[in-house]
Amino acid sequence: MGSLAGKTMVEKLTEKQGIQFYRLKSDKFNTTRVDIFFVDDLEKERASGNAILPSILKRGCGKYPSITELERKLEELYGADVGGGTLKKGEAHLIGFRMSHISDRYTFNNTRLFDECCNLLMCILESPLTEDNGFKKSVFTKERDNLINYIRSRINNKIHFSLYRCIEEMCHGEPFAIPEEGTEEDALLLTPQNTFAQYKEMIQSYPAYVYISGEVDDTSIQNFIDNFLKAGRGDIKSIKTPDVKKEISEVKRVEEGMEVNQGKLCLGFRTQIDPCSPDYYPLVVYNGILGGDTHSKLFQNVREKASLAYYAQSVLEKYKGLMIVMSGIEAENRQKAEEIILKQVEDMRKGNITKDEIDATKKSLETGMKAMQDSQGAIVDFFLSQHLTNCADDFESTAEKFRQVTIDDVVRVAQNIQLDAVYFLKPKNFKEGIA
Amino acid sequence: MNYRTLNFEKIGETLYEYEHGSGLKVFFVKKPGYNKKTAMFGTNYGSIDNTFKVQGSDKEIVVPDGIAHFLEHKLFEQEDGNMLDKFSKLGASPNAYTSFNQTVYYFSCTDLFEENFSMLLDYVQNPWLTDENVEKEKGIIAQEIRMYEDNPNWREFFNLLDCLYVNHPVKLDIAGTIESISKITKELLYDCYHTFYTPSNMVVVVVGDLIPEDVFSIVENMIKFKDRGKVEKKYPEEPAHLNKEYNEQKLVVSMPLFYLGVKDNVRVSGFELLKRRTALSIVLNDILGRSSELYNKLYNDGLINDTFRFEVSLDKAYGFVACGGQSPDPKKTAQVISGALNEAAVKGISEEAFSRILKAYQGMYVRNFNSVDNIARELTDAYFNDASYFDLGHVYEKLDISYTNKVISEVLSNQTALSVINPQ
Repeated sequence: MGSLAGKTMVEKLTEKQGIQFYRLKSDKFNTTRVDIFFVDDLEKERASGNAILPSILKRGCGKYPSITELERKLEELYGADVGGGTLKKGEAHLIGFRMSHISDRYTFNNTRLFDECCNLLMCILESPLTEDNGFKKSVFTKERDNLINYIRSRINNKIHFSLYRCIEEMCHGEPFAIPEEGTEEDALLLTPQNTFAQYKEMIQSYPAYVYISGEVDDTSIQNFIDNFLKAGRGDIKSIKTPDVKKEISEVKRVEEGMEVNQGKLCLGFRTQIDPCSPDYYPLVVYNGILGGDTHSKLFQNVREKASLAYYAQSVLEKYKGLMIVMSGIEAENRQKAEEIILKQVEDMRKGNITKDEIDATKKSLETGMKAMQDSQGAIVDFFLSQHLTNCADDFESTAEKFRQVTIDDVVRVAQNIQLDAVYFLKPKNFKEGIA
Repeated sequence: MNYRTLNFEKIGETLYEYEHGSGLKVFFVKKPGYNKKTAMFGTNYGSIDNTFKVQGSDKEIVVPDGIAHFLEHKLFEQEDGNMLDKFSKLGASPNAYTSFNQTVYYFSCTDLFEENFSMLLDYVQNPWLTDENVEKEKGIIAQEIRMYEDNPNWREFFNLLDCLYVNHPVKLDIAGTIESISKITKELLYDCYHTFYTPSNMVVVVVGDLIPEDVFSIVENMIKFKDRGKVEKKYPEEPAHLNKEYNEQKLVVSMPLFYLGVKDNVRVSGFELLKRRTALSIVLNDILGRSSELYNKLYNDGLINDTFRFEVSLDKAYGFVACGGQSPDPKKTAQVISGALNEAAVKGISEEAFSRILKAYQGMYVRNFNSVDNIARELTDAYFNDASYFDLGHVYEKLDISYTNKVISEVLSNQTALSVINPQ
């Protein structure tokens, strides 16, 4: 164990052509990984095109033209992982690619895995399967079908579906309402050619972040950086920052029937707070006291005291300044549950917060900040989030900002938190009084 | 203090073992540099243990379905308040889970380990049940059950188990039903507690950057309960054949979901169980994994998509392998997969595939040691199957192709069952 034990540090290696390269330092992991994120604006016309890219690229590349060949190679490299996916953070649309492998010292003969795994990662990123100036048609068509099926299957998970619908209704007309996979209607407009053109835009012009973590020597890192997208960068696109302020004239109420047993209630709030602004830290503490954990007001009052629900919690969307309260309840208890939830929000506003509540929340945040550093993936996500929001704090200084939050700070941010939309997924054929 | 130290040089890990005077086994894995510490206190008692002799009496009872899980919820409640709150005050996050064969209470923290660990050991030894707090929990658990009723993956899983098993209680939903939990009383909960929460039926597992003597001396000081003797569990005779070949349910889903399974009728435990589990995993990976010809064919034909997955579930008391995901045509897909499984039972696995996939599993084993929580869970699970998770490293060395082919022929020649969730 070296002097780095328990500490996690980030070092910016270089920036070239809109790509920032970072080295994450922590010497306790058994794996080495590279994470790449391309960033675009979240826009209706572009979302499906961005979302389909990782699925197409994972299907194979020049040297490994099928899933079978690619996966067999990964198995030979001690179960290495090369993959990708899409996510939204606020109104930024991220297309992520990653590679990870076990450290060389765990292989049979100290096999050098980094270079070979990076070659695979760059193969799927730089040498996709193409024909006629577009992606290979059979691959493209299958992945477009899969994307549409995926969009339709949002309905399968009722908790996620109700959350997604609440946000869609609340942010109607704002880019944030656009789901990360886009819509079926936009997916149908994709062709092998226009999707390939969007792929080239990604490679040439999207700003990108690259994180390298785990055991790897400096020469290999330098080689990787020198060769990274060597051929293809042009003018770099500039990305908008989302607007977190919104005036609310009236609370929007939406109720939808579905053949389900349990009703799902979602309440969407605007916090009016920018990530990384001084008020962000009290906001996180606010959310923790209201519905972050088992000590929270929602858990205690909706679940433990009233026995109305198994889960009752609140979650923040940091980049867009939203807070969503979610609970699964019997249809007949809808009114009662909403009243109890709003009473907790009102109590927060009035400053009915005990020292125990704020202390437990701050301790839990402190634990969270430390525990995050035990996961390579969580470390990457933390620094990506900091870089996207131009926030200079590291783990330690972020934790310090949480420590300094007082009840007064929490009550201050509570004054601006406003209910914007209420969504209820209602069990169909529900009759009052049914057992 | 008397404890054993075992070094596993290849993966760079050290395991410490200690046995408390009561018969309670304690395992500790040191993870230098990690901030998080996780401690588990588990009992080898889960949803399948619904028929047993109550400790200290000769009467054999059958308890309501879902009672092990109900007891898990109730143990958090103590006379002077809820344990969840007490852990929260110390910055720890507590939780628990109940599976087919175990109930495990745990917390993770970064600071104040001693205080948190003492609390964990204390409350699990001291249930505090009242008629009132038992009644109150019924509303909460009813909502947990309702939530799962709307979860298509959960439903297809249990509908498959209902096909595979005629009598075995593994087919029963872990949380029970709203009707079965209505019959749970304080007295029945105490009967279960006194039977299964006894040192020789339990285990303590700790993982983190701690000192072994410190961990073991907290156990030494905190464990007060005495062993109540060997637990007598009883499972019904399970025939080799299926209960039924097919189950279907309608739920709100975008396209059909399927889950196909095969029962493993050979019961093993210990090292042999780890070996058998690994052999089956390698084989299923060869037949159905992303690197297989079949996966690619089904994917290209549009019969499966990347929700497709497989699992090997092997325990002392039951065993099955299963696979599934979304499909526009579950019956056709299931037919192709069943054919491939039966064919593999005869043909076996090739030398090339065996060594390639084995290498990938060795890599995954190394990866697992990146997570304090994973290590704790795996150690607990292996212990309740009379095995040691650290022996998995030896399994990879010992496993050979002829053993693997023997297991394939024993399992994959069995009849497959199919569970389908159709859109409404």
